[in-house]
Amino acid sequence: MNAACKDCKFYLPVDVFRGMCKMSKEKINPDDPFCAKAEQMKKCKFCSNYQSEKDFLGKCMGTNLAYPDMIAGKCADFQWYKQN
Amino acid sequence: MIAETQTHINYYGSEPGGEVTAREGKRKPTPRAEEARELYFESKSSVSMEFPYWYTRRWEQLEGEIPIIRRAEALKAGFEHMTPVIYPGELLVMGKAAYLRGSFPLPWLSEAFFMATEDKLYKEAEEAGKLTADSFTTMGTGGGNVIKSTGKVISIAGKFGIRVEEMPVMLEVARKWKDRSVDDVGHKYEQLVPGYKEKEALMRSVICMFDSGYTLPQGREVMNYYYPLQFGIDGIIQNCEDGIADVAGYPDMDRLYFYKAVILMLKGIKQWINNHAEEAQFLATIEKDENQKTEYLEMAERLAWISSKPPRSFHDALQMIWIFHVAVLNEDAISGLSPGRVGQVLYPYWKRDMANGVLNREKSIELLECMRIKFTEIDCFASMGVVGGVLSGNTFNNLCLGGLLKDGTSAANELEMLILEAGISCDTPQPTLSMLFDEKLPEEFLLKGIECTKIGTGYPAWVNNQVAMEFLLENYAHEGMNLEEARSWAIGGCLETSPGSWMPLEIDNEIHWIPGGSAPATSVGVHFLSLPKLLEVTLFDGMDMRTNQRIFPSHGYSLDSYEEIWQAFKVYFSRACHVLTLTNNIQHDAWRKISPSIINSMLKPDCLAKGKDIGQMGCRYNTTFNIESCGTTTFVNSLGSLKKNVFTEKNYTLDEYRKAILANFGYKTAQETGSYSLIDQVPTSDYQKWKKIHSQSLDAPKFGNDNPFVDGILKEWEEWFCEMAHNYRSLYDQPMYACQISVSTHGPMGAVTLASPDGRLSGTTFSDGSVSAYPGTDRNGPYALFNSATCWNHARSQNSQLNIKIHPSVVKGREGSRKFLEIIRAYLRKGGFHVQFNIVDSRMLKQAQDDPGKYRSLLVRVAGFTQYWVELGKQIQDEVISRTEYEEV
Repeated sequence: MNAACKDCKFYLPVDVFRGMCKMSKEKINPDDPFCAKAEQMKKCKFCSNYQSEKDFLGKCMGTNLAYPDMIAGKCADFQWYKQN
Repeated sequence: MIAETQTHINYYGSEPGGEVTAREGKRKPTPRAEEARELYFESKSSVSMEFPYWYTRRWEQLEGEIPIIRRAEALKAGFEHMTPVIYPGELLVMGKAAYLRGSFPLPWLSEAFFMATEDKLYKEAEEAGKLTADSFTTMGTGGGNVIKSTGKVISIAGKFGIRVEEMPVMLEVARKWKDRSVDDVGHKYEQLVPGYKEKEALMRSVICMFDSGYTLPQGREVMNYYYPLQFGIDGIIQNCEDGIADVAGYPDMDRLYFYKAVILMLKGIKQWINNHAEEAQFLATIEKDENQKTEYLEMAERLAWISSKPPRSFHDALQMIWIFHVAVLNEDAISGLSPGRVGQVLYPYWKRDMANGVLNREKSIELLECMRIKFTEIDCFASMGVVGGVLSGNTFNNLCLGGLLKDGTSAANELEMLILEAGISCDTPQPTLSMLFDEKLPEEFLLKGIECTKIGTGYPAWVNNQVAMEFLLENYAHEGMNLEEARSWAIGGCLETSPGSWMPLEIDNEIHWIPGGSAPATSVGVHFLSLPKLLEVTLFDGMDMRTNQRIFPSHGYSLDSYEEIWQAFKVYFSRACHVLTLTNNIQHDAWRKISPSIINSMLKPDCLAKGKDIGQMGCRYNTTFNIESCGTTTFVNSLGSLKKNVFTEKNYTLDEYRKAILANFGYKTAQETGSYSLIDQVPTSDYQKWKKIHSQSLDAPKFGNDNPFVDGILKEWEEWFCEMAHNYRSLYDQPMYACQISVSTHGPMGAVTLASPDGRLSGTTFSDGSVSAYPGTDRNGPYALFNSATCWNHARSQNSQLNIKIHPSVVKGREGSRKFLEIIRAYLRKGGFHVQFNIVDSRMLKQAQDDPGKYRSLLVRVAGFTQYWVELGKQIQDEVISRTEYEEV
């Protein structure tokens, strides 16, 4: 999975086209690749409860509709996905 | 075109000479606000799926639960899960969604309009006439609108951008609401109304612009911030717990569920606030700038405090009212949620902080400018017809100034002076300002309002306090309205007179009576009715000749006299009001059952005291449904032309008029030319055939010139309309009333209307407002226009609306300010309800249309709201350019 700025916990969304880095305050493109200081934010696609089904859609805990890019910072069931 | 018809009417207005005149007195905002505004200018309207996702997920889990509890739990889940977003430099935080101009779909209200056009849901909505207005609306092509899909962003309704990653879930979530949304359930039952098919025909022909029950079911009302300010969130929760203890198990059990729903909601809002407090703490940990770090920490502390307790300071109070404003906005698709008389509500906090040295003038203005930026960021996710054709991308959050206190003395105060000052230095569309003009207001205060209006912001609009009070006393007396209470009113939305109440805010053991809204949405019901289109259908015996579809059965009148035309028109107008009232009542009933208001209900007196939400008539005042018209002056001028040319002078037969209308007086339509004002139309090869009748139509007497012949028609119409509106009963079994603002509907409604007997051409925009002259036809100056406009009693209607365009040179300097105030006074003293101004050189607007990139910050007044020029659709741009420009008064 290629991580982009929009997956970083320092990403501040301004609109659908661009955001801002919370640390540097620079304007950035959400699809720019991770920089050296980037850290993953909680998103469904990084959660062990998420199962992908098709493009941009999946299931949460096997039952609920979910989508990979949803920010899960406030989701009580979020668990970091551990790669084998 | 004028040369072609050789009429002496100057539809261009006069052309000023010399250089384009700039507006006067431009001032800059504080650096903080300027930076925030720049960020706003650079940002686009953006849609997030977070809130609707969690709302829907929780809703599905609670099948079988009491509806209002289910709704509260769903809303709670939405608030709790929204990602907190705080931008550098902000003093006031929190917003609708995790973008600067963020919004989100509310598929529980309506889901069809944002589906793909090939989707079954979309096709069904189209069939029911719900989407016709969308196709005749032009959206602004600049500013923050995402006008087309590009790269990883998909455009919705020509305005909103959504990331491609969120599009599939948006469609999936929308489908979950099929047959369950307010729109779908309402539609199922509205079809049971006898004559329902007539309603669909009215929608398809755009005689009626839209249904209010599932599009914008709340709004056009005034917020009431009293309860959170007085009790804090924990205090309200305690009140509700006490309420539960009092009512549990007793009859009228709905009260129990309402209190429980409010508690759930408030817990969601508390969590939402605390999530932002945590984010501020986090930002402080990574912040290198010490000042910014301190501000983050102060913000975190402030948010944590007001997540439970009443505000301690002006800054706390301002943040708190903003939070509740946004919370209500997230409850429904809402336009016109007015903060009301904020300068009077917050005055006790401000005065104390100023006395204690906590605040000074500069800091106050900085905070007020930040408030302006936050209100300007508000977007409302709705269909193109609604967001473009009605709202022009604005959301009409109206802040009122002046008026009277509970005891009848002037309510103007120093904080309101600063609100005006911030409106001058930080000129943004929102909140728009309205001056509740009363003779008791001090001259200095009024001149400050003039200073603001004359720089070209379009605000404050000038509104007649006494006329509004008279309207309220007439329409709400049966619900207990008295003179004292009438003084607490404010404008809800653009220009909807809305009842209020005085609430006893106790600070430091002293009671301050603060005004706040005390009624639900004051502009729902029959929206909007196109008077010129209804006249057209009358002339063609029930047919819409644009689509060749029958709207009404034959009226059976021969139309061989002017009176017969009147009678036939009244029959059709009444039929439309009847069926639309009934179908809208059903839609609003579906709304109150499926998607009841909880947050707004909690705020509005006397819902908490009664234990009833807005839909159960918990509010103190509930007579709030109306019948809203559009195109009044075009309609009146058309009748004037028919009366003169067909019946008085007998220059033409009615049949000849019908043929001229169908031939568009020998011109191309506006859709063909791409221009929507009369001034730029192009003749066809056989225009000579229609030249004479067109010229005589344009020459017929026009409203706005103090001419009793045509003003008498307006008077007759108004007296009939304002009276007949009371014949219809709202969902709450209250009489309805007349409402007369066009907002932006005169654009798309004009687009579907053939040429009219006044000489207006097919597809061109109607006259704006309700007592504005048709562009270029008011040739005797503003005082003649005032006489025409006040030929009827404005207190009989919820409003009237007058737009005037004045060249900046007219009001220049101190002498110009005084002259300007006298012009306004003259109109309001005659009984005019409302007047607003564009102070602009029209040539600047033409330049801005040609080169929008250079005019990102240019503001204009449309019809009850101020908007960035570049965010307006071409229909409205053309209409504003063509308005008569007064170069002397």
